[in-house]
Amino acid sequence: METDLLIIGGGPAGLHAALTADRAGARVVVADESFSLGGQLRQQTQWLSNLPGQYGYGKKRGTWVNEQLINQVGASNVQVLKKHTMIGSYLNGNIGVSDGDKTFEIQSRKNIIAPGAQEEAKVFPGWTLPGVMTAGAAQILINREKVLPGKRAVMVGSNDFSLEVARQLNSCGITVEAIVEEKNQIICSDGELVKTLENVPVYTNSTIEIVTGAGEVEHVVIQTPDGLKEVNVDLVCIANGFSPILEPFEIMNCHFVYQKELGGWLAAYNIHLQTTNPSCYIAGNAAGITDFGSILLTGEIAALSALEAMGFISSAEGTEQKSRCWRELANLESEKVLQARTEMLADYHQKHELDLPDYFMKIKGGKMYG
Amino acid sequence: MHISEHPVLKEKSNEKVFFYFNNHRLEAKKGQTVAAALMANGIRKLGVSRKLSQPRGLYCSNGRCTSCFVTINGLDHVISCTTLVENNMQVFSNNNDPEIRGEKYGN
Repeated sequence: METDLLIIGGGPAGLHAALTADRAGARVVVADESFSLGGQLRQQTQWLSNLPGQYGYGKKRGTWVNEQLINQVGASNVQVLKKHTMIGSYLNGNIGVSDGDKTFEIQSRKNIIAPGAQEEAKVFPGWTLPGVMTAGAAQILINREKVLPGKRAVMVGSNDFSLEVARQLNSCGITVEAIVEEKNQIICSDGELVKTLENVPVYTNSTIEIVTGAGEVEHVVIQTPDGLKEVNVDLVCIANGFSPILEPFEIMNCHFVYQKELGGWLAAYNIHLQTTNPSCYIAGNAAGITDFGSILLTGEIAALSALEAMGFISSAEGTEQKSRCWRELANLESEKVLQARTEMLADYHQKHELDLPDYFMKIKGGKMYG
Repeated sequence: MHISEHPVLKEKSNEKVFFYFNNHRLEAKKGQTVAAALMANGIRKLGVSRKLSQPRGLYCSNGRCTSCFVTINGLDHVISCTTLVENNMQVFSNNNDPEIRGEKYGN
């Protein structure tokens, strides 16, 4: 198979990148390992704010945005390969994909790799018992699969995502019996969200002592400052944060950097979202764990860079469009993440002796560089 | 248990699919994964771990952790959370290492 742009990962970043490239006239192939497009957006029923302007201002449900993206891709010339996993690269730089049956290579001029993020596990005695799962898994079950993962749950972790999932579990009729947080207070920054769960006991400075049950979760012991607290539940959800997925970048020999605020290790990239492998661009949560608007915008920047490099758009237009995207991203993204991203970019450019473009230096009135 | 009235998503899949788990006939909805279909039937233990033979089930639901592997239509180690359930699918809990050398694979 041969194409201009190959995109690995058909989540929001990959699909938004695909649409950007398709509109400029590039031939685009999107390969995704799942049976349907949308990635983790498929089960985000919550209202998303911080959407880029083109999605209309105001709040939209994640599942609604997902439908829009999939419909637009369906109406475009983008070629979609569902149930195709990137499994390697060839000496000539081509990427190998497999549907489990047939394996073939895709020859592309540029690649955008947008595999997303993975949920971090948390280990305690009993963590492998059926009924212990990530918060993301529980969310997939209720919203995508329409299946209840249990009746009574304990949520481990109190970040924005864990409380959002706890709220959604609750609205499906699952009783959240406890929220367990090892820090000394709730991490979630959304006061309204915290308020929707005000009837749920929150145990801070607490950890899971043990989960037991005959073949599946039946009983949880929580270590709290006031001693052991025992609850009978059949579901334990782990929300221990996300980290970028690395394997496809390893396959493509990309260099990695560590940035705690971006989720840990990730493939290093420059202002054009280009990794140390010049044919590979990065987008979405793989480029640092962030909010939904920034996921879309990194996809757009990566696509614009690839289009510019292939000659589908002029350098002037690329600069103008990317300048707009970065300005928008700087307004949407949380300060901590933006600062970490900026630092990583500045380090990259310094290390590789590349100038940062003027428009980037001027974002936020130049305040990004303190 | 299936969610019959979802608080947000009103679109419903009513097309039924029948499949087998360890020779028991079970009902699922079209479009569900094998792991979710089993969970809807109250089955959460999908097999045992390879080394310590401890119960294991769905953990990440994204095909990354591979904790939910089962045998489907004679193929060992199929990840049940990324495989859609189909009519007459024969699913078995996978309690051993897969057979990779043997007559059926031609070596």
